[in-house]
Amino acid sequence: MSKKFWKLGATAAAGLLIAGSALAQSGVSFKDPANDDNGPGSYTYPTDGVYKRGSFDMTAFDVKVSGKKVDFAVTFNTALEDPWRMGGGFSVQMVFIAIRTGAEGGFKDGPPGTNVTFADGNEWNKMVILSPQGPGKVKSEVDAKMAAAQGGAVIIPTRVKGAGRTISASVDLDQLGGGDPSQWGYQVLVQSNEGFPDGKDLLTRKVNEYEGQHRFGGGTDSDCDPHVIDILAGNGTGAADEAQMQHDMLKYECNPDGSRKSGAALKMVSAKK
Amino acid sequence: MRFSRGFAIGLLASAAALASMPALAVDGQTMIITGEDYTKWLWGNQHTDGSVYNFTTVPGEGYGDNGQGTEIDLLISSHPSKNIEVTGRLQSRFNQNQWTNYAGFGGRNPALENPPNGECLGGDCGEFDPRSNEYIKIRGLTARFTPGFKWLDAATIGSTDLGMFDPYTIGKIRYIDRDNAKAILFQGPLGSRQLTYDLIRVSLPRLFAGPNFNTGDYAGQDGAYGLQLKFNPSSFFDIVGVYDRVRDVEVSAKDTGNNGGDDGRDLDSRFKNDVYGGRFGIHPSSKFDFRGLYYYSTAESNPKFGTPTGFGLSGFSPALAGEVSDPLYKANVDLNDPFGIGLSFNIEYFNIGAQYSSILAARREVDVLLTEGHDGAFVFPGPDNSAFGVFAGNPTRIGYGGWEGPAQQVATISVDNEFTDFEEPMAETVIGWKGITVAPNWTIGDLDLSGEYSHIGYNTNWQAWGDTSRGITDSIYPNFESDAGVNSFRNAYAPFQDKKTDIAILRGKYLLNVGKGVDVFGKIKLIKETDNRLNEARFLPYQPGDCPGGGVACSNNAQNFSPGHSTADLYGNPPVITVNGVTGYQWKPFNSLSDDDRDLDYKLFQLGAGYQVTGNLYSSLTYERYNVDLQDGNTAFQAYNLHSMSSGQNDKNKLILYAHYTFGAAEFGANYEYNWGTFDPDFGGGFVTQFADANIARDYGVPVGSPGFKGRFGGWNSLDKRDFKQHRLKVFMKVRF
Repeated sequence: MSKKFWKLGATAAAGLLIAGSALAQSGVSFKDPANDDNGPGSYTYPTDGVYKRGSFDMTAFDVKVSGKKVDFAVTFNTALEDPWRMGGGFSVQMVFIAIRTGAEGGFKDGPPGTNVTFADGNEWNKMVILSPQGPGKVKSEVDAKMAAAQGGAVIIPTRVKGAGRTISASVDLDQLGGGDPSQWGYQVLVQSNEGFPDGKDLLTRKVNEYEGQHRFGGGTDSDCDPHVIDILAGNGTGAADEAQMQHDMLKYECNPDGSRKSGAALKMVSAKK
Repeated sequence: MRFSRGFAIGLLASAAALASMPALAVDGQTMIITGEDYTKWLWGNQHTDGSVYNFTTVPGEGYGDNGQGTEIDLLISSHPSKNIEVTGRLQSRFNQNQWTNYAGFGGRNPALENPPNGECLGGDCGEFDPRSNEYIKIRGLTARFTPGFKWLDAATIGSTDLGMFDPYTIGKIRYIDRDNAKAILFQGPLGSRQLTYDLIRVSLPRLFAGPNFNTGDYAGQDGAYGLQLKFNPSSFFDIVGVYDRVRDVEVSAKDTGNNGGDDGRDLDSRFKNDVYGGRFGIHPSSKFDFRGLYYYSTAESNPKFGTPTGFGLSGFSPALAGEVSDPLYKANVDLNDPFGIGLSFNIEYFNIGAQYSSILAARREVDVLLTEGHDGAFVFPGPDNSAFGVFAGNPTRIGYGGWEGPAQQVATISVDNEFTDFEEPMAETVIGWKGITVAPNWTIGDLDLSGEYSHIGYNTNWQAWGDTSRGITDSIYPNFESDAGVNSFRNAYAPFQDKKTDIAILRGKYLLNVGKGVDVFGKIKLIKETDNRLNEARFLPYQPGDCPGGGVACSNNAQNFSPGHSTADLYGNPPVITVNGVTGYQWKPFNSLSDDDRDLDYKLFQLGAGYQVTGNLYSSLTYERYNVDLQDGNTAFQAYNLHSMSSGQNDKNKLILYAHYTFGAAEFGANYEYNWGTFDPDFGGGFVTQFADANIARDYGVPVGSPGFKGRFGGWNSLDKRDFKQHRLKVFMKVRF
């Protein structure tokens, strides 16, 4: 092939790159330590072969503002796969992005099935759900399983994409109430997409005492344990001690009857001022 | 049977241990019953209605592109004690339960017919056939014990889909059969949780898991034993070892004294299959991942129990004849965005032995290779997707459009595409494949680019099945539908092969910022495949100059490639015929190494767009154009005398309209396809063209007087350009309750 062809190709590629980077105007990025995909420290993956090492190990969370859009991206410690042919480039992951914008108030309870609460002053008032299920399915689950006020604060992106190691989606800044997302607080709950969820669970996979083919292990058979596998902690820098902070945040105790004695109280993570 | 005895002792010990575990009743124990209503509508212009599935090759089962059917699936679960969980599944069978059966009353009773036991199709046997009388069947029942021992997390007894191993050894059962396998499974840690084990005993499926797709007369003791050890010493490294041992036994034919009543009866092996090896991963950083796997298999069929000692040119069996062995190995390197610009690379080297055998390897719904492989749009030897062969009475099944999308690759010749519909992925065997795939993917803002280049060679490249001591129609390899045609899904072998395949793909997806955003996507796929097949002159069937031409008959002096063996057994000489005053050979004599050459030039262009019409409705429209220029031997080769020839230009178009709608707990999906195209045959020269008489016209659906030629076995290959048009629609409803 001619030199002209290659020159043209290189110029076009460079142009695309510049155009791509120019789209990202502002935002905030967080890191999360690798290998802390064990909830409060004891959780283990289901035994089916589709749950590959690192599938629920979040390593980065990025928020970028592009014009009137806000792009969310969650990166994992393994290449994404789509073994269940969901069509979006990933299958087993499910991510809840809890946001505390500048607005007052919010919700202390996490999404149904996660069994987490948010600490005082860390309530969420917007939540973006990144699911491989279609938006219609997610919306019907939200309508059926979340209180109306909570459900009204949930934003379901029209499309969620998995590529490489990253799950990403965009929503309108207006849907988030406007403002500057770089100043907000965030918490990211990593769960697993469950096509056959328990009656009250919002497409989430259970954590049991022992891992099963499609259930996480290392928790309890009752619902007093937090059903999240990885979250942000500390300042979201990815420092090694953030794994311990995560374990502390997700620490729980159960009563003999299986009800919760004390449980996870999550804190938001925000950009260091 | 030392292993079995040891395993039985282990089982007893475990049973005793389980018996001593606490069995605390849970207050307020509940049994949860959920269910699903799955209803399917099929419509197509082939107007067949044998069953509510588009495709099967299983004799006696129906297939069809028209009909409506409903099945119920009841899922039951309960915790009778704290440490015990029971789950079950009851389901009505789908096959021929069309709505038109009116709940399965009445119908033909094949037992009372003369002759008896005729095939039931389309539900016409009503209540007299379980495929059409709406009976409910137990599909799964599993008890899971979690006794709380340090060394045992869970003991599972009953149904399992075998998803805990891997697709190369004991593979996951396909979704519709997910509870069919019954097993005893132990899982837990060995010492620390860094080392865990899975130990299983699976009863061997008598339906397919042995030579000739069965496990012989005595099945009660047939089983597979699997041990998997997983070691995760650090986040940097992990390794898994697997041993899979399959034993299909029969009552010994020698032990006939007093019918074995005095001292029991001995057992003898019908089929043995051992696979051992492992896989590992090295993960030094988030940018770099290396994974490797190696498995070695041995298999042995015992002909004393009727297993084949050889196959003809077209054998059907999931197991090779005799004693075979071969490895399978792969290495994968993932480079994740090494330049920080969103550009990643996946690289895979693969080498799968010609005799690699794992009778329980995954048969579909997995993808063991990185490459996209072939497409489902052209499958089976005929350009019209004829079911099998060049003979009359052989109508197409899946239809001209084939299956949608690229194939999934499986590491077995026991590929399972049975009871599928057109929009499901097709699986293809990769036994014998070796090569490399490089797959970059690049995300630039809203543009996703990905691609692939694969070069595939074959461990099955050989002459005379790789063993010149045997005849050409006497092979240890079952080759199913043979390799003639654009592609076949379960054919791994050919008598003569000198083949290589190159696949290049570029995919793009872009989010167009219009309305809620339009997904624009497309793909270009090129496949170049050549196969010289017979490539040494000593394998030509007849002596040089045997057929001199000019209307002179062939001398029929066969040439042996080894004592007593000649390819003339397969490629017989043509008679001299005269048609409309033209005298010559009925087909071209096989006298050149190029007579059977294959040269596939395959191009696919795809363009589509999808849109989220409302919060609940997504729809897409896709157009695909296939240009396939295929030279697949001439009239000397005749597609192994068995199949319709497909040399020529195939142009196929596919228009696919897809919609998915969610309404509360209900989901609806629809997939409409319009396929149209042409096949312009080019079978070369060197023969006298014949013309269809009334009988040929009737049997093969061609016009009287249309050109073609009659092959060695009497099959008719038309030389007419053919036009195809196929409409088909599948709509489903799923309601969870």
